[in-house]
Amino acid sequence: MKNILEVKDLKVSFHTYAGEVQAVRGVSFELRKGEVLAIVGESGCGKSVTSQTIMRLIPSPPSIIKAGSIIFDETIDLVQLSLKEMESIRGSEIGMIFQDPMTSLNPTMTIGKQITEGLVKHQGLTQEKAQKQAIELLLLVGISRPETRIKQYPHEFSGGMRQRVMIAISLACRPKLLIADEPTTALDVTIQAQIIDLLKDLQDKIGSSIIIITHNLGVVADIAQRVAVMYAGKIVEQGTVDDIFYSAQHPYTWGLLHSILRLDDEEKSELVPIEGMPPDLLDPPLGCAFAARCPHALNICLKEDPQTQIIQDEHSMACWLMDKRVKVKIC
Amino acid sequence: MSRFILRRFFYMLITFWMIVTVTFVLMHNLPGDPFANSEKLSTQQRALLSKQYGLDRPILVQYEEYLLHIGQGDLGVSFAYPTRKVTDIIKESFPASAELGAESIIFSVLVGLILGITAALKHNKSWDYTAMFIAIVGVSIPSFVLGPILQYWVGVKWGILPAALWDGPANRILPALTLSFMTIAITARMMRTSMLDVLNADYIKTARSKGLSQFAIILRHTLRNAILPIVTVLGPITVNVITGTLVVEQIFAIPGLGKYFVQAVYSNDYTLIMGLTIFYSLLLIVVMFLTDIAYGFIDPRIRLAKGRN
Ligand SMILES: Nc1ncnc2c1ncn2[C@@H]1O[C@H](COP(=O)(O)OP(=O)(O)O)[C@@H](O)[C@H]1O
Ligand code: SF4
Ligand SMILES: [Mg+2]
Repeated sequence: MKNILEVKDLKVSFHTYAGEVQAVRGVSFELRKGEVLAIVGESGCGKSVTSQTIMRLIPSPPSIIKAGSIIFDETIDLVQLSLKEMESIRGSEIGMIFQDPMTSLNPTMTIGKQITEGLVKHQGLTQEKAQKQAIELLLLVGISRPETRIKQYPHEFSGGMRQRVMIAISLACRPKLLIADEPTTALDVTIQAQIIDLLKDLQDKIGSSIIIITHNLGVVADIAQRVAVMYAGKIVEQGTVDDIFYSAQHPYTWGLLHSILRLDDEEKSELVPIEGMPPDLLDPPLGCAFAARCPHALNICLKEDPQTQIIQDEHSMACWLMDKRVKVKIC
Repeated sequence: MSRFILRRFFYMLITFWMIVTVTFVLMHNLPGDPFANSEKLSTQQRALLSKQYGLDRPILVQYEEYLLHIGQGDLGVSFAYPTRKVTDIIKESFPASAELGAESIIFSVLVGLILGITAALKHNKSWDYTAMFIAIVGVSIPSFVLGPILQYWVGVKWGILPAALWDGPANRILPALTLSFMTIAITARMMRTSMLDVLNADYIKTARSKGLSQFAIILRHTLRNAILPIVTVLGPITVNVITGTLVVEQIFAIPGLGKYFVQAVYSNDYTLIMGLTIFYSLLLIVVMFLTDIAYGFIDPRIRLAKGRN
């Protein structure tokens, strides 16, 4: 199957007064047509920076793409595009949904206008035709009475409804790729499930590939086929949902899996967060970034960064525990 | 929207009534009495004058009559110029003040907005620093310093523009400029901050993620939201400009209402002071009412929320 997106060795830094913040430090992954990839990891590990770099949404300065390529649809390297060329891809080929639906819509513009803008720009529709499409889109994302709703402003919608509007905006031009950055984090639990169901449903209908960033491993299991686990600006493990849930190999992934609520275990239904803090990306450690918190850390972990290696088919990870040379020594 | 306007209008009436009442109470509780050189008046003369001005009647009756007069647009007769009604003085001299004020507000808000927008779009570049330098200079130089400076250099030394009086269009430039500096400075700084805030807002990121051009984003998504805080300060800005006209009219010898206000204070002309106070209050209340409505037009959250309940 073809890859809709190939990210290779992507490095993104921010220049701040304190120095260079290495937010993304060599990320590589692939996304196939029609596939859903989940990116998980603690706050600050570079998930948003990675996804917004794909859209080239991070202003430069302060950010720079230091290295790497982002091949979209097998031909275009998004890193090399001018901002003008990027404008024709944003919204038409790649759509994006953000975390907080309360702030991601323009408060002084009607919902209808906000949906039709992209259609008018990318598909050259008249306002009238775009309006008709916007009404259909609202129906598609489950908003009733779209003819009235289209004339209303964001503050007349609840959080969940606004996120539906955001989804309608991002899917207006039927993009090949949809990036959803924590689309449910700011919503009530019951609404979260509805939004995820909607995304699944729309993926069936429109067939976009999706990158979904989330803290919620339940969401991952529900919607994704593959998972990338990020830590301190790198992907430490990636594989199919089964690989990650049933045969995770990286100590950080183990920590993440332990930290989720175990609903089956009523006595001890407590969240066990991973102890300690992620490293400062202004001055990332020489060796494995997780070493300071890792219960299995070896001497070599402090000195050298482990290489990513393939475990099986699509399952890969970066940890010294899996390195053959180290294994020999342990045994 | 019409309900919103009606509500605001009702509030406006109540505010005006309160100001009128407070003015009335103040006028009746001032120490001494309103007659000039009152020590020299005999009891008879005093009684006669009181009767003539209706001051001998019960206070509630006076209040009623006072309200009735104001309702009919009658602000009484000046003490200092007994042949002239306060309303006539206003009719005669307000146009010059209004013109000066309006020219200054339009000019300074436009210039301020342009400076603020430029500064925000060229954030941290030399344009930004230049615009903010102008802004800081503008707030720190008071009009009674700036006015004479302009008068001396532009008017007298270089002789480019008339240094005083109110004869033709060229006479408007220096006083309006003097009056404008402060507003330019305030507007420019507010607009810059507001633009930077909006440019960092999440919905601008959404707009960019739709593939809109930078120009479209500024025009459709940024300006309208950024201008909201400016609309809220239009009221206070008008107050500033109106107080400013009092000073600037003196400096440039402009036959405006400000001149009378200052004179009225010097000569203890109570009816004129009260009449002008009421007139200025009414002016401000109307300006506030209009800015409220403008705000409602720009911001649907205000319009709809207030109109509904
Ligand atoms: N504008 C910025 N300037 C400096 N550092 C930034 C900026 N944006 C993000 N970062 C840094 O990049 C890192 C990754 O952030 P982000 O991608 O937002 O994390 P998350 O995984 O929670 O989405 C964080 O350490 C953050 O401090
Ligand atoms: S490389 Fe070492 S420190 Fe890093 S996760 Fe593996 S064992 Fe732990
Ligand atoms: Mg994030």
